[in-house]
Amino acid sequence: MKPISKLISFMLAGALLLVSLAACQPAATLEPEGPVTITYWHTMSDPETAQLENVIAAFEAANPNITVEATRYAYDDFKPALLTALAGEEGPDTARLDIAWVSEFADQGALMQLDGVMPGFEEIVAGTFPGPLSTNYWEGHYYGLPQNTNTQVLLWNKEVFEAGGATPPETMEEFAQVACDLTEGEEQYGYALGGTYFWAPAPIFYAMGGQIVDEDITTADGYINGPESVAAFTMLKDLFDKDCISPNLLGGGIGTADGHATGLYAMIIDGPWMVDIYKGNYPDFEVNFALIPAGPDGTTSSVVGGEDLVIFEGTEHADAAMKWAAFLLSEESQKMMAEAGVIPTLSGLTGDPSIPNYFAVFLEQLETAQARVPHPKWGDMDGAINNAFQRMLRGEQSVQTALDQAAEEIDALLQ
Amino acid sequence: MTVSMRRQMRNLPMALVFLLPGIVLFAAFVIGPMLYSLRISFFDWKILNPELSAWLGLENYSRALGDPIFRRSVLNTLAYSAVTVPTQIIIGVTIALLLNQKIRGKAFFRVMYYLPVITSWVIVSLLFEYMFSGQAGLINYLLRDVLAVIDKNILWLADPILAFVPIHLLEIWKGIGWVAIIALAGLQVIPQHLLEAAEVDGAGSWQRFRFITLPLLTPTLAFLFVVRTIGTLNGYISNLLITNGGDPLDKTHFVLTLMYEATFTRLDFGYGSAISYLLTVFIFIISIFQIRLLRRDVEF
Repeated sequence: MKPISKLISFMLAGALLLVSLAACQPAATLEPEGPVTITYWHTMSDPETAQLENVIAAFEAANPNITVEATRYAYDDFKPALLTALAGEEGPDTARLDIAWVSEFADQGALMQLDGVMPGFEEIVAGTFPGPLSTNYWEGHYYGLPQNTNTQVLLWNKEVFEAGGATPPETMEEFAQVACDLTEGEEQYGYALGGTYFWAPAPIFYAMGGQIVDEDITTADGYINGPESVAAFTMLKDLFDKDCISPNLLGGGIGTADGHATGLYAMIIDGPWMVDIYKGNYPDFEVNFALIPAGPDGTTSSVVGGEDLVIFEGTEHADAAMKWAAFLLSEESQKMMAEAGVIPTLSGLTGDPSIPNYFAVFLEQLETAQARVPHPKWGDMDGAINNAFQRMLRGEQSVQTALDQAAEEIDALLQ
Repeated sequence: MTVSMRRQMRNLPMALVFLLPGIVLFAAFVIGPMLYSLRISFFDWKILNPELSAWLGLENYSRALGDPIFRRSVLNTLAYSAVTVPTQIIIGVTIALLLNQKIRGKAFFRVMYYLPVITSWVIVSLLFEYMFSGQAGLINYLLRDVLAVIDKNILWLADPILAFVPIHLLEIWKGIGWVAIIALAGLQVIPQHLLEAAEVDGAGSWQRFRFITLPLLTPTLAFLFVVRTIGTLNGYISNLLITNGGDPLDKTHFVLTLMYEATFTRLDFGYGSAISYLLTVFIFIISIFQIRLLRRDVEF
């Protein structure tokens, strides 16, 4: 063949290929009922991820046309990964987001509104705890469903308590006393916090009656620097000055999980996942939980944590995604995840024989636990409180001055 | 036109064809994003709805220059370069001089000194973090229980100045091997006969180093100085892992950890891009000065 005829036949072959490809196109769109794959991004732990596979299998068995593709991320990488993917229009259909992020993503217009859109939405939310549900609400609409919840309670090391002749404290006065009684120089501390970020002191802060902002989220002045908030941080500051709190919270010390299991920290405050963490790392350690000690007004409190299931705006498989969301909120899947240490959000499951015994204390604590400020700028507010806590512990500012500055910084964020 | 030039011209189309993939990739993945982030730096950028972004002009830049956290991060970054680069070069060149001698096991030592260079930043950063732990760290154990120079544990990472001790040591430790290998290459091109002639003329080993080796090594040193300075001004991973980027009190940031936090934690893409561009301009100016200052022609 001459070169020119070679070229022509090549072009003809190419053109035919294009035509045949184009011919395939309509055939695919004629089948809306065909199999769809939806993606689901999360930050679950090892045991949770293993159990999620069973949940997905159960969902796929009930919905043979839908395949769920789950991807796990490390918590610290999750936000940047999600944002860059969404900006490049490569984001997932659904995800499990930290409750503190939902308002932020909803504010960016990234999430699909569920009320009035999702079939059966009203019945589903009627069965959930109101606290976790409230974290999905932003400017008049719901942008997610409470997938799981948690809170922090007191963990007390039985061996250390018995050796020191102490009993778990029930009031904050007893807590302060026990923390110092069980401290022995640098060898043993009565109490330890994981850091100075708000999540760490939050249970004590709320139990002491502390508040960050007013109910309508308009100002922090008189709240984060109000008398109850100041009293909460003053108690922690006094314990720290008396060396009854481990210095690790300033940074670069022994972590609370390891320190508590090895007897270095008599008390820590942490969540339900500690059971699984200790099962893996310290199988012989006996975990003991108690409610957060009651504040001056006699009531206990703590901080609400957990994750919400969200569907992203612009997903091509909204129907399948909503089916998946409804399944994750079903008793069947909530019970399965409970086996892996995940606290269900369905109030009907309280007292259910199939959920682990140690959930009881967390479910009781959840009745009074409070959510952090549901606001897109929460991350910056957290930073302001974190820095105020650092400054008072280092003696750079008095508790009142440090919190006055935090109030000013938070008010600037609220404008 | 000479014959060779004409031949080169004839090869030009073919050369362009071979260069094209590289140019396209460079434009798409380096130049393009750079220009795009320059644009972002003039806006209050909304990552998910770019069309809603508000034009700010130079506001992100002036905000950075007036931000005490940014200023502190610049000082931290400069101190990092000022401490680690000269230390690295002095130790690295010394090792290269030793490795250039006729000693046994030369290859073994070369491998050992180069090993830190190829280790993962993440792994060694975490290792240094553990070594400098305030309660159970190896360093506190050595200082307190073995050497008995301190009587109370030092909380290295809780102190905005001491937190830089592991970060600086890590950079020095990790960079020495690379400096030594480059310096060794520089030493090996120095003609042996010059050194022998000097020896015949009665020059001692210090004089041979001072008047022959060192001047002839200047281009290599200049190269090391410029490349390591740029490298350390871009310091990032060890700081992010050891101080969490800025802990405590936002006082330990490097420019790049602050850029990362602004962009990906606080979603302030405009501000983060402005910080990137300030760093780029700064590195550009410093590099020009360094090259001017150190460029001297050397003739063998």
